[in-house]
Amino acid sequence: MTQSSSWRQFKAILRKDLVMELRTKEMVTSMGLYALLTMVVYQIALAEAGDNFDVRLVMPGLIWVAFIFMSMLGLNRSFVHEQDQGCIDALLLSPVDRPVIFFAKFAGNLLFLLVVEFLSLPVFSFLFLQGREGFGNPIWLVAVVLFGASVGISGVGTLLATMTVNTKGKDVMLSVLFVPLMYPLLRAAVGATFAAVIGGPGTVETFWAFMMWVAGYDVIMVLAAYGLYEFVVGV
Amino acid sequence: MKRNRLAEIMLGLGGILTSAAFFMTFFWAPATVYPDGRVDFAQKIFYFHVPVAEASFLVFFFTAFYSIRFLMTRKRIYDTKARIATEVTLFFVLLTMATGILWTRVEWNVWWQWEPRLTTYFILTLLVIAYFVLRNSVEDEEKRAVYAAAFGILAFIDAPISFFITRWLNSIHPIVFGGGESSGLEPPMLITFIVAQVGMLMLGYAFYQLRLREEELNERLEALKIELGD
Repeated sequence: MTQSSSWRQFKAILRKDLVMELRTKEMVTSMGLYALLTMVVYQIALAEAGDNFDVRLVMPGLIWVAFIFMSMLGLNRSFVHEQDQGCIDALLLSPVDRPVIFFAKFAGNLLFLLVVEFLSLPVFSFLFLQGREGFGNPIWLVAVVLFGASVGISGVGTLLATMTVNTKGKDVMLSVLFVPLMYPLLRAAVGATFAAVIGGPGTVETFWAFMMWVAGYDVIMVLAAYGLYEFVVGV
Repeated sequence: MKRNRLAEIMLGLGGILTSAAFFMTFFWAPATVYPDGRVDFAQKIFYFHVPVAEASFLVFFFTAFYSIRFLMTRKRIYDTKARIATEVTLFFVLLTMATGILWTRVEWNVWWQWEPRLTTYFILTLLVIAYFVLRNSVEDEEKRAVYAAAFGILAFIDAPISFFITRWLNSIHPIVFGGGESSGLEPPMLITFIVAQVGMLMLGYAFYQLRLREEELNERLEALKIELGD
């Protein structure tokens, strides 16, 4: 099998997911709505805290809580579709390398997650950060964390969701497996986001130190997920 | 049946060594003292807490090892071995947690502290529990084995992180070995610790082998039942 045919297969699977999403808009709307609802819950959570504290202190934690749960929703949906419509069986029957399936699903999930993240972050700022101090460091640093952490989330999530879609309590099972495995990544993502949002002397160094964690996690876990995918898909 | 003999010997020896370590802890190993001269009695739990914690890491390694073996060979026995290794891990993890929490209450004045070692170990506990939750929620036998193996390998990645994190980050959890000038033990303390540690590992081995034997007998029983039923 040549390099170019793998690449074509990759594009074909990814295009399938994109076309389906563009027609139904199911993933992005459900994930986006979920993020929005989480923010309503945050309003309740912060209601009694008043205006005297700096929301930026809790903001990194809040957005990552929203994103991690939102991503589980999306991951689960992305494989429920594959299974309900028998698509995954057809994919496994066709002469496509298993790693290609992994990378295509991974890319699709990453893309949807990033779209919703980049849409919901301004909404969060609009709802909670108006009239308050701005970000301490350039805003593109936040984009770097979003991208870095989403790679790990989608990589590990693609593997786990492939498994949990065949278990009894699909989405519950996904969260039981997913959240503890995500811990190191989330911790680093929150640390990096905090450094980017608060700013001040030395925070850029802290930011990149946390990003090294994120990168390390991404490399190790995505490679592990890639290596294990072949065994897990289509047992 | 040589293996079973060895397991029984290990069980006996491990029992003797851990009991001996218990007496050595209280009657031989010198007590540490605080800077103000008070005796640090809580430190005695070190001779139990650390051996079970090290045992939990080591046994969990076998979960990952047998999971990899299973994925390579697809032999059912490796799945059983990985599962039993995880069971023994869970046993040691819970003991570590229980003893650790008692110690932090005395030494840090809180039952729980979100500190790097405690946090990563808590995550490890959740992963070990999740392993069994996953197994219980898959009905198909082959799927269950493959999924559990994949998850076991991923989950094990947390074990070295939890082990080394006190050396990487600022942690208030004590580092006894190789942690700078104040670390290290006096010979009687070290010997007590080694006796406890070796005993605990022997017990771990024995638990694992005896559980495995039980499981094998169960499987044979099931097979015989099916044969008789036909």
